[in-house]
Amino acid sequence: MSDPLDALEKSIGTLRRAIRDASAAGDTERAGELRMQLRRAERAWDALIDADEPAAAPPRPAPEAAPAARGAQLPAREHVHRALMLLGTPAAPKLIVGVHEAFFPGELSASKLSSLRRDEERSYRSSPGARPYYLCPALAHDLLTPVRALITISTWTLEQRIIGPLSPRVDFLTSAISIAEAVHTAAESTPDGPSPEALRLLWRFAVNIPDAMPRNASGHEGALEPQQVIGAAQAELDVHTGTDRATRAAAARRARKSLGDDGQLFGAPLQGVTHLRSARA
Amino acid sequence: MKNPVDDRLDALRGSAKRLDYNARSLAALENNPRCTLRALLDASGSDKAAIATHIGHPPSFGQSSFAITRGNAFEAMVKDNGCAELLRVLRETLELTLPEVGYEDLNDVGGDGRSKQRHERTEEVLLRAARGEGDATLFDHPMLRLLIGGHKVYLEPDLVALRIDGRFHVVEIKSFPIIDDQADSTQVRAATTQACAYIIALRDLLGRAGIGEEAVSDTIVLVAPKDFTNRPTGAFVDARKQVAALTRQLSRIERIGDLVDLLPEDLTFDLDPTPDKNKQPRRPAEELTEALDQVLVTYRPDCLNHCEMAFYCRSRARAEASLDVLGPTVREQFGGIDTTTMVMGLARGELTPSEDQVEIAAALRHAARLRAELEDLGGAA
Repeated sequence: MSDPLDALEKSIGTLRRAIRDASAAGDTERAGELRMQLRRAERAWDALIDADEPAAAPPRPAPEAAPAARGAQLPAREHVHRALMLLGTPAAPKLIVGVHEAFFPGELSASKLSSLRRDEERSYRSSPGARPYYLCPALAHDLLTPVRALITISTWTLEQRIIGPLSPRVDFLTSAISIAEAVHTAAESTPDGPSPEALRLLWRFAVNIPDAMPRNASGHEGALEPQQVIGAAQAELDVHTGTDRATRAAAARRARKSLGDDGQLFGAPLQGVTHLRSARA
Repeated sequence: MKNPVDDRLDALRGSAKRLDYNARSLAALENNPRCTLRALLDASGSDKAAIATHIGHPPSFGQSSFAITRGNAFEAMVKDNGCAELLRVLRETLELTLPEVGYEDLNDVGGDGRSKQRHERTEEVLLRAARGEGDATLFDHPMLRLLIGGHKVYLEPDLVALRIDGRFHVVEIKSFPIIDDQADSTQVRAATTQACAYIIALRDLLGRAGIGEEAVSDTIVLVAPKDFTNRPTGAFVDARKQVAALTRQLSRIERIGDLVDLLPEDLTFDLDPTPDKNKQPRRPAEELTEALDQVLVTYRPDCLNHCEMAFYCRSRARAEASLDVLGPTVREQFGGIDTTTMVMGLARGELTPSEDQVEIAAALRHAARLRAELEDLGGAA
C-alpha cells in the first residue's frame, strides 16, 4: 500500500470520529459538512485503489484497436460512458447495450440503465462535481426538460446534449458513422476482425440510410462496406446539419440564461413547464 | 349543464362509473350501426363486459397480453434510433424528401403524461406545423380529442406524418404481417376503422383553427412487418368510405335521444354494484336480462369479434329462431321473413304466405322439392 492511501485512511478515521462528536453535540450543520468531506475522501480512496489495479483502464475517448478483455469488470456507468463516447451522441439504453455488446466485453443490461440514471442525479445533487462525469438525460430544445430515455454525458457541451426536431436523425447518422469507423478499425487491426454483433449493428443502421447498402443485392452482411456507410451517412447528414446546429445552439443559449448548473445537466424542473410555455406564447 | 337525454342515459347506466368511448368502441360503431342495444350501452357509458358477465355470457375475447406486448415491441422497434425504420418506410410510401425528418415527441409534456396537457401541446404543435412553421414531419403519439355526445374522448394515433406539400397522414403501426403485399382483411379493416376516428379527430382539431379538412389525407399509411420477417413495410389504405360511415355514425350519437325516447321510463341496466372496491353486482341477473330483452338487438355473427354483448345476443337470436344467427348474407335472401320456423313453414307449405311473401314462398317450396328429390335419388343409389 502506498502513502497517499495510508494518509486517506487516517483522515477517513478522523472524519468519522468528528462526525460522531458533532452529531452527539447536536450540531447537524457541522455534521453534514463533515459527512460531505468524508464522502469525498472515500471516493478519492476508491479512485486510488482502482488506479493501482492495471485492469481498470481510464475511460478512453474512442476504442483503440482491440478493446479485448480489458475493463470487463468495470461498473455499469463506466460501460455506458464508454459506449456513449464511441457513439458521440445521446443514445437510448437499447442502443447503448447494443454498442456495448458489439465492441466491449462485460455484462450490461438495459434494466440496469434506468436505475443508473436516477442514481447519477442523486449523486450529483448530494455533492455536485465530485465525479469526473455524470450520466444525464438529453434536453428537449423547446421546454429544456429531460427527453425520454436518451442518455448523455455531462462533459459534453450543451449543444451536444440538446435534442431538436432534426436531432434524432442527425444523431442516428452520426452514430452510424461512429459505428462504421469502429468496425473499420476492428477490421484493420484485429486478427479476427469485427465481431458478428458489430457487423449486425452496422447493418441495422446501414439499411435505413439511402445508398449505404452495397449495390449488389445478392451480397449480404459480408459485403457491407464501412466506407460506403460513412459516405452515405455523411451525405444525408450534410442536408440536416445546418438547421439542426442552429436549433441546438439557440436552445443552448436559452438554457445557459435560464437554468442553473444542475438544470443544464438534468433539465428544467417540471413545474417550470407552464411558465416557459406562457412566456413563449 | 345537463339535458334530459343525459339524465336518461345516466339512469340507464345506474350507479357505476361512466366508461368513455375509446378508439376501439368508436370503431365498433362502424361495424354494426343498426344495433340499438350497443348504441345505448355505449352512449350511456355502461360497462358491457360486466353486464355480459353478470347475465351469464362472459365475453371470451379481448386482447391477449402477448399480442399487446408484441404490438408494443414492434412499434418500439419501428421508432428506435430516431424512427430510422419508419423513415425508410415513409420515404418509400409517402415519398418524403431527404430533409423531411423532423421528429416531435408528444408522448408527454416535459414528463407530464396527463391527457389534457398532452392534448394542449398536440394542438399547439400541430397547428404550428399546419401553418408551415417548425421543422417537424413526424408527430409521435399526438393526443387528439373528440367531443362525442357531449363527452370528451381522447384518442392517440401511433404517429401522424406531415409532408411538405402540407397534408397530414395518419400512420398506423400494426404487428400483423403483410405477406406478398396482402394482409388479413379483417385486421386491416379494424386498423382502418380505428384510424378513421383519428382522421376525424385531427380534422376537428384543425377545423377549429379554420383549416380545411383537405389538410388531412383520407388515406392512411399502414406500417406492418413484411412477409415472415420483422422488418417493417408500408402500404396505403384508402379509408374514404369508412371515414364517411363513421362520421355518419358519430352524428347519429347526437341523436341518441330518439332511441332513448322509445324505451320504457323505468328501464335501467344498472348492476347495482357494492360500494366497496370489489364492485360485486347485487342486482338479480334475471331482472337485468329482462331489462336487456326490452331493447332491440341486431345480432350478426361478426359481432363475436368485437362486441362484449355478442354471446348474449346470439343466445337470444337462437332462442327466437332468428335468421340473424346465419349472418347477413343468408338473411338478405329471405327479405321479409325473420325466423327459421317461418322459413320452414313456408317451405313445407304449412303456412299460407301473405301477399308480399308469395314470391319467396314459391322459391322456398321449389327448393324443398329439389331437396326431397335429391334425397330420393340418394336413397335409391
